[in-house]
Amino acid sequence: MNDSKLVNVTINGVPLQVPKGERIIESARRAGIDIPYFCYHPRLSMENGANCRMCLVEMAMPRTGPDGTVTLAKHPKPQTACSLPADEGMVVETETEAIVKARRGVLEFLLINHPLDCPVCDRGGECPLQNNTLHYGAGASRYIEAKRHYPKAYPLSEHVVLDRERCIQCARCTRFTQDISGDAQLDFLKRGADTQIGTFNAAAFSSLFSGNTIEICPVGALTSRDYRFRARPWDLATQKSICTECSNGCSIKLDHRDGLVLRVNGRVNEAVNEEWTCDRGKFGLPASISGERLTAPLLRDGDRFREVTWDVALGVVAEKLQAAGKQAAVLAGSKLANEDLYALQALCRGGLGSVRYDYRMGTQSSEARDAAAMLFGPNPAPTGIAGLEASPWTLVVGSDLAVEHPIVFLRLRKSWRFGKSKALEMVSSSAPANTHVGAFAWSSVRYADRGLPESLRSACSLLLAEMPGLTATPEIRAWAATGTPPADDTASRRMATALSTGPGTILVGEGALSGPDWREVLVALGHLAGLTGSTGSVNRLVSGCNDRGAEALGFGDWQPGTAGILAGAASGATPALWIAGADPVTQYHDPQVAIAALEQASFVVVSDIKLTATARMADVVLPSCSVAERDGTLTNVEGRVQRFWKAFEPRGSASPDWLIAARLLQRLGKPSVWFGWQDVLADMRSHVAAFGGVSLDALEKDGAMLVAPQVVD
Amino acid sequence: MVAASAGRFSEAGQAQLAEIVSHYPDPGGAILPALWLAQREYGGWLPADAIAEVAARLGRPASEIQGVATFYTMYNTQQRGRRHIEVCTCLTCGCLGAYEVIDRLEQILGIHLGQTTADGEFTLTEAECLNYCEAATVVQVGERYFGGVNAENAADLVARLRGSEGCTPESLSNAIVEAIVPGRNAGATHG
Ligand code: SF4
Ligand code: SF4
Ligand code: FES
Ligand code: FES
Repeated sequence: MNDSKLVNVTINGVPLQVPKGERIIESARRAGIDIPYFCYHPRLSMENGANCRMCLVEMAMPRTGPDGTVTLAKHPKPQTACSLPADEGMVVETETEAIVKARRGVLEFLLINHPLDCPVCDRGGECPLQNNTLHYGAGASRYIEAKRHYPKAYPLSEHVVLDRERCIQCARCTRFTQDISGDAQLDFLKRGADTQIGTFNAAAFSSLFSGNTIEICPVGALTSRDYRFRARPWDLATQKSICTECSNGCSIKLDHRDGLVLRVNGRVNEAVNEEWTCDRGKFGLPASISGERLTAPLLRDGDRFREVTWDVALGVVAEKLQAAGKQAAVLAGSKLANEDLYALQALCRGGLGSVRYDYRMGTQSSEARDAAAMLFGPNPAPTGIAGLEASPWTLVVGSDLAVEHPIVFLRLRKSWRFGKSKALEMVSSSAPANTHVGAFAWSSVRYADRGLPESLRSACSLLLAEMPGLTATPEIRAWAATGTPPADDTASRRMATALSTGPGTILVGEGALSGPDWREVLVALGHLAGLTGSTGSVNRLVSGCNDRGAEALGFGDWQPGTAGILAGAASGATPALWIAGADPVTQYHDPQVAIAALEQASFVVVSDIKLTATARMADVVLPSCSVAERDGTLTNVEGRVQRFWKAFEPRGSASPDWLIAARLLQRLGKPSVWFGWQDVLADMRSHVAAFGGVSLDALEKDGAMLVAPQVVD
Repeated sequence: MVAASAGRFSEAGQAQLAEIVSHYPDPGGAILPALWLAQREYGGWLPADAIAEVAARLGRPASEIQGVATFYTMYNTQQRGRRHIEVCTCLTCGCLGAYEVIDRLEQILGIHLGQTTADGEFTLTEAECLNYCEAATVVQVGERYFGGVNAENAADLVARLRGSEGCTPESLSNAIVEAIVPGRNAGATHG
């Protein structure tokens, strides 16, 4: 579309140099000229676009006559600026009498069938249709005939409600599902005045990304079931934040009132989520931090809890921890901020002399993780999220990407959509027939019971067959030759053709290294990466929100690991255990083990935002803060450290975990110098090399990448 | 999305679809003829399964196929009678007695416009200009046109359609067109 060549255009008399082919609506914005629009969206395709006609402008192009004189030839009809590509000499006028009249006409047509129920519409107050009508429309309606009527509040899904009367048929939502999420669930049904959006056969709109359509709908036709009728936009305050529901770390906005997050909207971060969110984050985050929250410390009193002061609670905890000394242990949850983890680590090592702390709840061993980190580099993820766009091929192993890493998935899809990348995946035969990546993958290989290592091995052997000239040691050739041939021959061969085109990217989900065959997987991955020249672009995908931060801090580097800590609690070898923001009873891969350990443990303190199943079994429960009630930083899957901001005050006397750790350190006679979260961050930056490059400036913008360690030979 | 293999297209239908698709650079271009074919394969209308099958066979989203099927009025997304009688009520036919034809047909069939007879035999609807205005009033039944229909011979048309049990649209129509517009049947095929 755009090429780098610049052309001269004039908009409302302002001369501009813009890339040839840029849409005039965007060129105008550079010059500070607003052209009203509904259907235009910079991230949606023009197919089915340019349909609302709100962005009309007048346009003229220079024309050279037979005698060589150049005159300006005005196009007889107004043009849609959202689809008009900038070209040399183009002259555009956006505020002529004809345009003012045309816009008024467009709005009059749009409003003919629009119910104008703004007073009870969720969009009221932040509605492009309202705003444009106010600026560009007629003051009063001339339409006295009956309007089109449909039953209100048609449920498209458990999250999204459709009000068909309000829809202006802009095709933003339909294009979102076709272009961005790719599930193509929404389209226009019927025609003329009966046109409405809908799903095939009125099935539930079950996209993983459906919430985005609510945000981009320029009217109140699509609303969120959770947020419907709960607030007016002008009653809400907005704070910048980071989603904590998975490791992708989307930039979001929290819209809140009276200490409640009422909705989550996407925030632009070109490096991570562009502007999208997934439904898990958009609807799950408000749910996860609302409801019954802990507001004061609780002390066990027989079968029940008794509210106590922080003084009393911390006194008990400090005494038990001190007594346990280096046998004390800490388990941290994946939503804890970098500052919390650092402070907990300081408490363990500096305050108690203990190295018994971990964050992992899955089956991946530290050995597997460390070996992978050693092989492919610890931090940050070499390709990252945005980097996927430039990768000629991307192989996904061990992850149902759309579910586990929704935003990484969207970026991979985008890269495929613009023809820049081939998506490849290796999935177990037990995965559903239509995997999300499989829908657009160049090749999707099923590994049946042969397992991932064998599948990777046959990819190597096919690659060697494809490229006889490839440099490979005899050992690797021999290794590749011993594999069983793939059952899924066509797909495997097709994959080999992509792999043979040169270096690409490999995304390794946690599933790949969590099984007993992790060593074979790593060896095979190492060979495949080596043969394709992609050793420097193997990205490990971690699942938990801040797992990458925990890893960078070395939070789980020590024996005995989560399993050992829980076993210790059960056997009495861990006399005091602090579980911070984690719920092993529901999250540990073997919940029975966790329950048994907690039943037998001599002292357990749990800090969390809610009385979780684990907290119910504790001796002391401390109320902590959610992402909305405090400041801090989180590290996402690619190793990007990102700041979140406090939106409102904590509940009751709740306190962030770093502060709880700091107060305990003080009681243990090892006071810290942390008066605010920035002090913890500053300490972390000077003591942990990976965080050395995290500047406050970068945190105010798109975040800062972890620093890769210096290789010392 | 249903797998194409779960569909109801006959062998002949599948072959025909393959032939149709071969004319287009991208199977997505063949949606209209594929829907026509599906309508025939599914007994004259397009239930959701038919739309899903077309979607699966063309590799397009089912929502898009349903959008197309509901956009055009000549795809039947509701079950119709075995014979679908469509009376043109556009300008020429409208001026030349289409409404009398409709009144008469309603009377004979005992239904209103848009309805289907209790025995499932006939559905009666209006149509926009059928582009055969010189033979107004024009009636379309299935894939055949009948010109010169009027309140008098409407009963004859219905009687002959009834008597044509088991006939294909192609084989039944000649006699009736002859009867109604002598010598006119030659140019009267459509589609
Ligand atoms: S529901 Fe909203 S986004 Fe979708 S077409 Fe209608 S107005 Fe546009
Ligand atoms: S992709 Fe992850 S971080 Fe982004 S909105 Fe969804 S759950 Fe939140
Ligand atoms: S914004 Fe240009 S036509 Fe809709
Ligand atoms: S008006 Fe009836 S066929 Fe044209």
